[in-house]
Amino acid sequence: MRRKILFMVLLIILVTSACAGADGGNVRSDDLTHIRLPMGYIPNVQYAPFYAAVEKGFFEEVGIELEFDYSYETDGVALVGANELYFSVVSGEQVPIARAEGLPIVYVMAWYEKYPIAIVAKTEQNVKTPLDLVGKRVALPVFFGANYVGLRALMGEVGLEEGDMTLESVGYTQVEVLATDSSEVIVGYSANEPVQLQAQGYDLDVILVSDYLELVSNGLITNETTLADNPELVERMVSATLKGIQYTVENPEEAFQICFKYVEGLEDADQEVQFDVLKASIDLYQTDPYGYSHPEAWENMQRVLLEMGLMKKEIDLEDTYTNDFSK
Amino acid sequence: MKDIGLRIRKIGFLIISLLGGLLLWQLFTTFSQIPSFIFPKPIEVWQRLIIVIQDGSLLKHSLITLQEVLFGLLLGLVAAIITGYFLAKSSFVERVLAPYIVASQSIPIVAIAPLLVIWLGPGILSKILTSALIVFFPVLVNTVVGLKSVPRELYDLMRSLQATPWQRIIKLEIPAAMPVFLGGLRIGATLSVIGAVVGEFVGADKGLGFLVNVGRGLYDTALVFVAVLTIVLLSLGLYASVIFLENHLLSWQKRNGD
Repeated sequence: MRRKILFMVLLIILVTSACAGADGGNVRSDDLTHIRLPMGYIPNVQYAPFYAAVEKGFFEEVGIELEFDYSYETDGVALVGANELYFSVVSGEQVPIARAEGLPIVYVMAWYEKYPIAIVAKTEQNVKTPLDLVGKRVALPVFFGANYVGLRALMGEVGLEEGDMTLESVGYTQVEVLATDSSEVIVGYSANEPVQLQAQGYDLDVILVSDYLELVSNGLITNETTLADNPELVERMVSATLKGIQYTVENPEEAFQICFKYVEGLEDADQEVQFDVLKASIDLYQTDPYGYSHPEAWENMQRVLLEMGLMKKEIDLEDTYTNDFSK
Repeated sequence: MKDIGLRIRKIGFLIISLLGGLLLWQLFTTFSQIPSFIFPKPIEVWQRLIIVIQDGSLLKHSLITLQEVLFGLLLGLVAAIITGYFLAKSSFVERVLAPYIVASQSIPIVAIAPLLVIWLGPGILSKILTSALIVFFPVLVNTVVGLKSVPRELYDLMRSLQATPWQRIIKLEIPAAMPVFLGGLRIGATLSVIGAVVGEFVGADKGLGFLVNVGRGLYDTALVFVAVLTIVLLSLGLYASVIFLENHLLSWQKRNGD
């Protein structure tokens, strides 16, 4: 009987803690605001600006204690939408998709200026332009997310349809799939897969989606409640992150060194390649001013998502993002 | 007559239990104010279910997963039965293979599923193999235990009757090992669904695992629930099929018991 009561109490605690959300789900220490930040991917040198901002004390200066959370991107968006968390790092397409589903999230800071997705093929495949994709086997991780949206946006720009090529979902194994010729073309992050493949000695053709179309890229989101009730926290979070971005752009070598503390196994990895990944990422950052996202990029993104059927209805873009915090 | 009454009562309890669960779910989601994209209400899941039934997508994806599961189950079963027979019959084979088989069980299937995609491509084959791999071990263990549990006296009896090896397998070993083997098949059948869905999670453009991924990617949690519930139903259906098979194949035991 006693065991049963204990079990019930534990169950109630679990359920009630899962439902907690009034304070955004964040534990606060005396003088620092604790922020759990979903990153959307595994620890990686691409997150150098965040690691640098922590190590250089930019977050501490504004009273924020940052905890990295490497869970799925969509989980981060859902938790911010439910006001369980204050912020999340997301890819741009997630914002209109989530808002169309009723998640009250707001994009408050652009991190990447250019949409980071690239179409990659070995040179012998002769994929020089998007039209060369006709008849090819094209591998991408999943049929949603930045890779899929980037590919479909590019296809739409040149008048291609899915039936013009064979699309294959291969999980996050694009490098291996292209190296072993399991697929003729892959879709990936321009700062990652092509860099890794080139380091292995493959000659590649790389088509950047951003060369054809301006789309909203990776950035920081919060929710409407936080933005309305605690804009000063958003201001602090964005300003510290932007300082981290600026530091990484100006001091890439130092930022790379900082990554060793956060990216397990980096010591044993090919450091030249990893540094190239960081440099290629930095090329995508250059927003002017820092943190600014272009209205045209939002309009393009909404149009692409509606055409793809990933959004059921049009949304008001004015509520979707703000440039108030850009510097 | 008494049996029929008992059966009606059992079904009644099941219906009450299901309705009670649904009611609790509805009350919890209504009063806790949890947004639908975190925890949808039963009515929202029901509405989503109707949509995917009407547009045919649920059937399409379910059939793909079922196909992967059945082929995976078949492959896993055949491999486990053959390996299990040799393990049970030869201590040399057991000594050589057992460490590999036991070690292979400590490899998480989610860790090797991406490798299977690389080796076998993103098509149905990688999902069938994921499913077969997860089915293999429980069926293998039960095959070995079942064969080893055949009483020695019965082997002596078969020998005295001058039975051929084939007759020994058909008349003695298969019937004697069947109850334990079917126990392994019960576990294997439900695990086979998990195997196929894990394979679809890693990389697929169809199947119920893919549907879960789509639901997550579009913040359509009601769709995730629909896909998960369909996966559960598929598992239960397979489990029930094994029970049916068990009742049919082991009816001689019951008759003897009577």
